[in-house]
Formats: sequence, C-alpha cells, structure tokens
Amino acid sequence: MLGRGGLITVLIFSLALAGCEVASFYAKEKLERGNKTAHVLLMTPDVQLGEVTAGGLVEPNAEWTAIAEKHVVAALKEQLAKRKSRLVLYRSPKADTPKARIHTQLIKLHNAVGSSILLHKFASPPLPTKEDKFDWTLGPQARIVGHEYGADYALFVYLRDTYTSPGRVAVMVLAAVLGVGVPGGAQIGFASLVDLKTGDVLWFSRLARASGDLRTPSAAAESVKTLLKDFPL
Amino acid sequence: MRRHRLSAVLVAVWLGAGACATAPGDGDASLADEGGTAPGLIAPGAGPGVPLVPDLSPGQRPALATDEAGWWMVMDRTESKLKTAGNLVRDEALNRYVKGIVCRLAGPYCPDIRVYLLRVPYFNASMAPNGVMVVWTGLLLRTRNEAQLAAVLGHELGHYLRRHTLHRWRDAKSTTNALIFFQIGAALGGVPVAGQIASLIAMGSITAFSRDQERESDRMGLRLMAEIGYDPRESAKLWQNLIREDEADEDKKTRFIFFSTHPAPEERSETLKRLAEDALKASPAVETGDERFRNIVLPHRQEYLRDELRLRRFSRSEELLKMLLEDGVDAGELHFFRGELYRLRGKKADGDKEGDTDDKDKALAAYAKALDAGGAPPEIHRSMGLIYLKSGQSEKAWAAFAKYLELSPDADDLEIIKSMMQPMG
Repeated sequence: MLGRGGLITVLIFSLALAGCEVASFYAKEKLERGNKTAHVLLMTPDVQLGEVTAGGLVEPNAEWTAIAEKHVVAALKEQLAKRKSRLVLYRSPKADTPKARIHTQLIKLHNAVGSSILLHKFASPPLPTKEDKFDWTLGPQARIVGHEYGADYALFVYLRDTYTSPGRVAVMVLAAVLGVGVPGGAQIGFASLVDLKTGDVLWFSRLARASGDLRTPSAAAESVKTLLKDFPL
Repeated sequence: MRRHRLSAVLVAVWLGAGACATAPGDGDASLADEGGTAPGLIAPGAGPGVPLVPDLSPGQRPALATDEAGWWMVMDRTESKLKTAGNLVRDEALNRYVKGIVCRLAGPYCPDIRVYLLRVPYFNASMAPNGVMVVWTGLLLRTRNEAQLAAVLGHELGHYLRRHTLHRWRDAKSTTNALIFFQIGAALGGVPVAGQIASLIAMGSITAFSRDQERESDRMGLRLMAEIGYDPRESAKLWQNLIREDEADEDKKTRFIFFSTHPAPEERSETLKRLAEDALKASPAVETGDERFRNIVLPHRQEYLRDELRLRRFSRSEELLKMLLEDGVDAGELHFFRGELYRLRGKKADGDKEGDTDDKDKALAAYAKALDAGGAPPEIHRSMGLIYLKSGQSEKAWAAFAKYLELSPDADDLEIIKSMMQPMG
C-alpha cells in the first residue's frame, strides 16, 4: 500500500490528466436535518505549505503554514455559517489518557479509510465491491467523539500548497523552450464528512490544481469554497 | 529501513530519519587534540584538524521564517504521531534508562532531546533536527553493554549537535538546482545523455556527503562517550559484531555499498579503533556499565529475540545468538532461542558437511542445554512436544505438553495443546 506521501504524489501526477480541479463522492446528495443547526466538529486540519526549488524539491515553510492554518479555519467557519451549520473546533485531549487513545484510533482509522477512498475512487482502478457504491464507514465507535462534543458530523481537512520559487520559474521557462512541461507549485487536498452517529463517510472531496494561495485570506477562502463545492449540508 | 517508491517521499523520509550531510572532509583530526565541547559556538564546518563543536546552542529553536523551521515543523508533526504509535515501548524503567544515558551524553542539551523507543526488530536509531531521537529494539538486542549503547546514542546526538539534517537539505537543494540547469544546458546543446550522467554523479555526491556526516557523528559520539567515562573501545567492538552478523548472512541482501548511507563498516570499525586509542591517551575511560545494562535491558531480551526469529533470517540470527552466548549471560534463555531457530528453520542435515544433523536434532540438543542451564521460558516444553509429535513419539510429546501446562496453567493456547494430547482415532 502507498503511504500518505505516496498517494499525494500520485495525485500530483494525475493532476495534469484530471479535467476538473475538484471532484467529490457522496453517500447522500443532501443531508436532511429539518430546521436544526448542524454541529460540525472540525478535526485539526492537516495543512502544510512549501516552496518548489529549482531542482524540484519541496521545502516546507513553517511561517506560511501557520498563517494558512488560521485562514483555512476562518474560511471553513464562514462556509459552514452560510449552510446553517456551526463549526466546533476539536482539541486533542492530553496525550496518553484513555480518551486520547480512543480519539487517536478514530483519526488513524479515518486516515486509512480516507487513503483507500483517495486511491480507489480517484486514482487507480476501483475496488470491485465498491465500484458503483460509496459506502465507506468508520463504524459506530465514532459516536463516542460525537457525544463528547455534541456534534453531528466530523469534518477532516487535508491541504498541501506549494509555490514556485524564482529559480523554478526559470527552469519552467527554459524547459518550455525545449518543449518540455515542468510542474511548478500545486494545490492539492481533500476533505471528508463523517456522520458521528453511524461513522459513515458521507462525502469526500478532492482538490488538485496548479493555482490557489492559502497565504492570503481571500485566496484561502476561495480554495475552501472550491473544496466544499457539493458539500451536502 | 523500508524502501519507498517515490522520490518525494524518499527525500522526506531520508531527511526525517535524521540522516545526514555536511562538512567538507573531516580528515584525520585526532580526538586527543580537541578541546571540550563549547556550547553556543557556531562552527562553520569542520575541516581537517578543526575541533568539532556543536552547531547550535542549548535550547536553540529556529526562527519561523527559515528553512530549518520548516523541517522542525515536519518533524514536530511526525513526533505527535510517534507518541501514539502502536509499537512505542512504554516500559518506564527502560525509557528512563535510555533517556538517562542520552542526558549524560548531551549535557546542557539534555532538555532538547526526546527519546522514543520503538519495537522494531532491526538495528537502527535515528535523529531528527527537532531533537526527536528514535531507537529500535533490534538495536537494544545487539548492544552488549551500556558503553556500546552510549556509543550509538552519542553518534545520533552528533547528528543533532552538528545540525546534519539542515546541512544535508541545503546540500541536496543546491545539488538538484545545479543538476537541473546542467540538464537543460546539455539538452539545449544537443547532448541529452550528459544529463543522465550528471544525475548519477549528483546522487553519488549526496551519499558521499552523508558518509562524511556519519564519520563526523562517529567522532562526536566517541568523544561524548569518552568524556563521561565510557570505554571508547566498545564503539569499535559494536561495529565488529555487526560486521560478523552481516558476514554470516547467507542472503547477503543487506549490503549495498554505493547507496549505503554509512561508511563501509570495516573502515568505520578501524577508524573507531584508532580514535579510541587516541581518546584513551587523553583520559582513561573504562566504564562499560555491564550491570545496569543487565538489570534493565536484558529482562526484555526474550521479547526482542522472539521478534528477531519472526524475521526468518536464520543465518544472521544464528550468528547473533552465538555472539550473545559468548557473554554467557542467561545462557539457558539463549539456548532456548537457538532451539527455536532450528525448530522453525527445519532444515535436513547437509550431506556434504561432516557431522551435520537435522535441525530438529539440533533443536532438541539446544533445548537440552537450555534446561540444563535453567532460565528458559515454559514454552520450551511445548516446543519439545511439537518436535516429538512430528517425529511420531506421541508419549514423549504428551509428557512434554503436560509439563508445559503444569508450568503455565493459564497459557493462551491451553485448549489447543489439550486437544493435541488426545489419542488419535
């Protein structure tokens, strides 16, 4: 199996082939909830920004990442408010407590399930048993976390944003002279919505494009809006 | 280390795993003429004869806008995953012990280092730029005393104190930058092959640099251990033992010199021996810490040996057990695992080798020695029972199973064993 990093690389390579910037799968197009405000627990977003060097390596940038994390959370809050939902922020419990262990297991399970969705729904051939279905689940244990926060759903967000360094721009221009396309910065990510009563993954969206900038509030808001296109709430 | 497919992952893992890369050739500077560590001094790479001093001061953290902070961020995240790793060793005494050695080696840097013991049956330790040190249990199985353990821990600290990850990253960056422009230039000049040659040279130079860093860490580690009184000769002994194990490996899969990130083991062992002699001239250090090591690490050895045998690299494990038996500590336990090795391997006698016997006979002989010496776990009787059963000696098998159940009445496999004791038919 590919690790998370490997999957992301696969996605970057599939970027050129993919027609659209964002694609999503869902169990239900729209979630029923009457007049009630939905409480969505935002799991700690996994955001990382970096710069593509001339030679094509990615240098992680802590300063940009810290800025982007704030912008992403603010943009998510805004997007959910527009959908009559409230964002509840997740806080990791103290390490090594029984509570922490339960939470960790759920997060790790989501990582594993999410990786499978990414791999089999977006990149490589679908699993024979899931070809025409979207019925992934984390199981009813997810209820424990939902109960604790009084939340109906959990939202997982993963974003990687890279920017082209001046050196890389020079390489891209020179390579273009030779008729070779060299990739620069890219924005990739995914988000998933989990029902905290059943553990079912309700919606899963993937973003992959060569534009976007999480370092400024307005561009970050645009990225989050694009990622949440077709959000079922 | 596991091999990763994609280069991006490779670079991240390679940097994360506290690998290495700076400093123009550290040459022959002898340990004897180096002063004590001078915390806080920033050393611009150590050339021949230049004393090795730490490249960062105690408590130092990188400024947020730097490339260094980027790698700290990545490793901080990895660290939070380490804290909940399923194979994290939580035994308090063992953690306190290893951390204690690290602290004495690190001196004023002690608060900057966090040690994580992972249950992984291979010989390895790694150092991340943010102060995360990871030690695998396969290493604890192979170090024979506290001084040898200190030698590895000191080596890893060397990577931290000399900020090898950062230097290697900068080095990789400038190498790949130069490479891509060279490739474009070559292609523009109509020489496409030149690009590939350059890429090979660049790969070589990245690994060569990293070997220089390993050498530097070896020197640093040796000095750190000698300064607090550990016998520096133990460092070379550890490497010699690893070479012995490597040479016993029938598969010979593990050695691949060009891309290996460490200096050739023979060269390393020789250098360490020489440096140890120099260090001893400067200050006599003779502590090996045998007793503490025995009291705290060896109680876990059965667990590590079980993991080792699961790898099914029997020729290596056989040599390892032979070496451990040379120390003669808990020989009964070691003979039991020798028996287990032969039982699991189950090879027939080699007709070309005079006096060679079937593995099942070797196993029974080893079990006999284990029972003689004492200290083998109750499973020894189950193992003997299984061999007897296979060779049709049911009465003997049942007696052995009965003994096993008598010694461990709460065994997980109680029902299975009982069912095997029913006469067939």
